[in-house]
Amino acid sequence: MSQPPRDLRAINAGQSVADHATRLDGLEKATGAARYGRDQIKKDMLWVRLIRCPWGRASLDSLDRDAALATPGVVEVVVSGDAGEYHGDSIGYVVARNRRALERGLQALDATWTRLDCKTGILDDEKARAPMGDPSAETAKAIDDAAFTFEATYSTPVQTHSSLETHGLMIEPDGENSIVHASTQGTFVVADQIGRFLGKPRSKIIIDCEHVGGGFGSKFQIGKEGAAGGLAAKTSGEAVYSFCDREEEHLDTGNRPSLLCKVRLGHDADGTIRGARFETFGGTGVSRRGGGARVPSGRFEFGTLDSPNHQDIQFNAGGPRAMRAPGCPQGAFVEELLIDEIAHRCGLDPLALRRRLDDSERRQRMYDVAADLIGWENRADTGSQTGTMRTGYGIGTCHWGKGRAPAKIEVVVHPDGHLEVRTGTQDIGTGQRTAMAALVAARIGVPLANISVAIGNSMLPAGPASGGSVCTPSTAPAAMAAADLARERILAGVAEREKLDADRLTIDDGVIMEGGRKVIRWEDACRRLSEPVSVTGEFDGQASAHWGEGSSEGVQAARVEVDCETGQIFVRDVIAIQSCGLPLVRKTAESQIMGGVIQGTSYALFEEQVLDPGTGAVLNANFENYKILGSEDCPRIVPVLWRDDQTGVRALGEPPVVPTAAAIANAVFNAIGRPVRDLPLRPDRVLAALAEPMAERVVAAAPRNADLENRA
Amino acid sequence: MNGGGPTIIGPLPAKTSLQVNGRQLDFVAEPATTLLEALREQCDVTGPKEVCDRAACGGCTVLLDERPVASCMMLALDATDRKITTVEGIGSVDAPDPLQMAMAEFDAMQCGFCTPGVVTAAKALLIQNPRPNLDEIRAALSGNLCRCGTYPNIFNAVLVASGQEPVEEPTDRGRSASGERA
Ligand code: FES
Ligand code: FES
Repeated sequence: MSQPPRDLRAINAGQSVADHATRLDGLEKATGAARYGRDQIKKDMLWVRLIRCPWGRASLDSLDRDAALATPGVVEVVVSGDAGEYHGDSIGYVVARNRRALERGLQALDATWTRLDCKTGILDDEKARAPMGDPSAETAKAIDDAAFTFEATYSTPVQTHSSLETHGLMIEPDGENSIVHASTQGTFVVADQIGRFLGKPRSKIIIDCEHVGGGFGSKFQIGKEGAAGGLAAKTSGEAVYSFCDREEEHLDTGNRPSLLCKVRLGHDADGTIRGARFETFGGTGVSRRGGGARVPSGRFEFGTLDSPNHQDIQFNAGGPRAMRAPGCPQGAFVEELLIDEIAHRCGLDPLALRRRLDDSERRQRMYDVAADLIGWENRADTGSQTGTMRTGYGIGTCHWGKGRAPAKIEVVVHPDGHLEVRTGTQDIGTGQRTAMAALVAARIGVPLANISVAIGNSMLPAGPASGGSVCTPSTAPAAMAAADLARERILAGVAEREKLDADRLTIDDGVIMEGGRKVIRWEDACRRLSEPVSVTGEFDGQASAHWGEGSSEGVQAARVEVDCETGQIFVRDVIAIQSCGLPLVRKTAESQIMGGVIQGTSYALFEEQVLDPGTGAVLNANFENYKILGSEDCPRIVPVLWRDDQTGVRALGEPPVVPTAAAIANAVFNAIGRPVRDLPLRPDRVLAALAEPMAERVVAAAPRNADLENRA
Repeated sequence: MNGGGPTIIGPLPAKTSLQVNGRQLDFVAEPATTLLEALREQCDVTGPKEVCDRAACGGCTVLLDERPVASCMMLALDATDRKITTVEGIGSVDAPDPLQMAMAEFDAMQCGFCTPGVVTAAKALLIQNPRPNLDEIRAALSGNLCRCGTYPNIFNAVLVASGQEPVEEPTDRGRSASGERA
C-alpha cells in the first residue's frame, strides 16, 4: 500500500519496537502462496486413515480385513486392537493409493461393534455428586467468623482447539533422509518423536513447518495420526499423507477439559473474604491427568484458603491436551463471577471490590483505563433493569508468569547488506518470524526491508516449542545477541578501514554514522565482505540482562446486551488491556490480543462438546454443530498494549484468552440480576436464570454475627 | 453416446478439464471428485483449504464466474464449463490485488489458514457491492470461520480495499489515565 493507512489505534502508537511493520508472510498468506503441511500433496503418495471406535465404549465383533485389502488401491490394513474406550479411539489404520480407495477400504472393513456401558461426564462420578467436603479446622473457623457464608457451584464445558489445519503430517523420502511436513507447534518435538515410527535416526529426519494452520496447545505431539503415518512410511518407503479430517480433529486431538467447581466461603459486609474452600473436578476423558484448573488464581485475597482439593474425573471421551492458558479461563470464570456475586450481596460496585482484593499495582491502574474505555459510569446496578434488552458491564483479569527456554538465532550478513535471520522454531500465526526480523532490524539499525527470515525447519538453529507463551520471550534475547554480534562485526570493519573508533559509530536507518557525520551506508560497508558472515546468538534459558523487568498482566472489560425474551447475548465491546513487557510488532501483538478475546468470547457463548449420555458418541464433532464465533458475533475489540516501564519481552499468546469469558459472564449477571454459573452462556440458561428470583443481597440485613451480639 | 440421452461418465476415472485462473487444467479423476479435491489433489492449486469438507467453514471458497461457492460441496464435473477463480487467481505476491494488500497491511491473518477463503469471499462481495458497509461485510463473511480470531482486521481490510475509512476505533481516551503511556 503506497499510503500507509491511518493509525487506527493511536492508543498503542509508540509502544512497540516496530509500530508499522506488517507481517512478513502477510502477502504469501493473502495470495494462497503459503504452503502448509496439509498442502503437501503429491499424486503418488499414500493416504492413511485410522480405524476408529464409533461409540463411547465398545468391543469389536468383526472386521473384514481381507475385503479391505482386496479393495483396489488399498495397500495395507493394520489392526492392533479390538476395543475402544471412547468415540474416536483407534484400533489400527488403513493405507491406500488415494483418498477414494481409502474410503472404500474403510467401508469394506465393515467393522461391527458391541456397545458397552460408558460414562460421559464429570457428574457420572459419585465423588463429584457428593456434597462438599469439610474445610480444615482453620478454614472452617475463618468462614464461621465471617458475617455471611456463601456457597455455589460452577461448571465449564469441554472446548476443542478447532485449529483450522487439522493435525497430521506428510512424509516424503529424500535419499537417505525423510522430510516430514508437519502441522506442529514444536519443530524439534516432531523431530524427536517421529524417528521411532519411521525407524530412522534423528540425523536422517528433516522437519519442515514453514507455515502452520493454527496451534492452540494441542500440536505438541505427533499423535496417533502421526505415528500411523510414520509406520506406513517405514513399511512402504513411499511418500505418506496422514492428516485427521474434521471429525477426527474434534474427537481425538485433545481439548480444554471440563470443570465442576464447588465453593464455600465466608465474607463480611464490606466484601472482605475471610476464608474459602474450593473443590474442583476436572473432566479428563480417558486420561488420568490434565484436568486442573487455576482457581483461585492468586490474584485476589481469599483470606484463609483451604489447601487445594482437585480431582480428575475419567470418563469415556478423548483426553485433554494443553489449550491456550490451560486451566486459566475456566478458573477465571469461576473466580471472577464469584467476586461479582459477593460484591452484589454486599451492595458494592464489583470494580471497587476488586480494587480491594487485588494487590497488583499495575492492574489497579489498568482498572481505571478499562473503566474509562468501556464507559463503566453508564453501568446500571445489577438487577435494576427491566425491559427486553438489558445492558451489562463486567470485568475480568489475568496474569502470566515468566517462562523461558533455551534458544538460538543465527543471523547471516550477506555482502549486499541483506540479513537473513535463521531459526528452527515455528511461526504458528503468532508472528514469530516478523517479531524476529523487526527486533534484528531495530537492534542493528537497518530497515526491515533488509531482512528475510528462514523459520520452521529442524535444519535451522534450535528454538523452543510454541507453548507456555515462552517462544518470543526466549527467542528475543537470542535475536538481540545475534544482532549485536552482526553489528559489531560490520562496524569493526568500518572502523578499521576508516581509522575510526568503533565505539563511536552508530547505525541509523541503514546509514553508519560517527557523531552527526555520515560515514558509509550499511550496504556499502557490507560490500567489503568477501563472503556471507554468520553469527549466532544464544539464550541459555536463564534470566539475563536482556531478560528485563516485568511480567504479563491484564484487565478486560465487556459490555453486553441481553435479549430477555430469547435469552440471546450480544457481546458489543471488549476492552482488552494487556502488558507483555516490550511489545515487538504492534500489529501482530494487537492481533494476539484480539484473537484471545475472540476465542474467549466464543468460549463464553458457544463452545461445548456434547456427548450422548446413552451411547457416549460425540454429537457435534464438526463445525455445523460445534459452533465457534463468526464474523456476525464478533464484538468491537480495543486491544491496549500496556507498556509501563517494562523492558524484557514477555508472554502474550496466552494471557489475553483468560479474562474474556469471566468479563462477559459478569456483564450478563449485571444485566439480568442473576448469575449464570455454567458455561457456555446459552440462551436456555439465560432464560432459566431469569425465571429464578433476583440474586440475594445480604447487606441490607444486619450481619449475622452482629445480630447475635445485639440479641445477647 | 447412448441413444440421445446424456453422456454417461464414470464410475471409472474420467478425463475432466477445468478452467482455473485463466488456465485449462486437464486431469483424470473419478466423477465423485469434488471441485476442492480436484483443485488440490489433481491440479496442485492448494490455496483453497480443506477444513470441514461440508460447507461449514468457508475455507475452500472459490469463485465460479465471480460467485462464491464452497468447492467442497460441488463436483468438479459440475464446474467444467465455468470460470473458476481461486485466491491464487485474485493476485500473487508479485502482483497482489488491493484487497490482498489491505489484508496484509491490516494484519487480517494470523495462521492464515482461513485467509484464502476469506479473501475469495470478500472479493466476491466487492465485485457485487463495491462499497459495502460494515454490516454487509459481516454478513458476506459469516460463512468464513477464523479460529485465530482476525475478524476486526478483516473488516478494516475490506473497507480500505473498497476505498472507505476503516472502522473508527477509539481512542486516546485511556492515554491520560495511564501516565507512562503518553
Ligand atoms: S471446507 Fe468447504 S466449507 Fe469448509
Ligand atoms: S488466521 Fe488462523 S484461522 Fe484465520
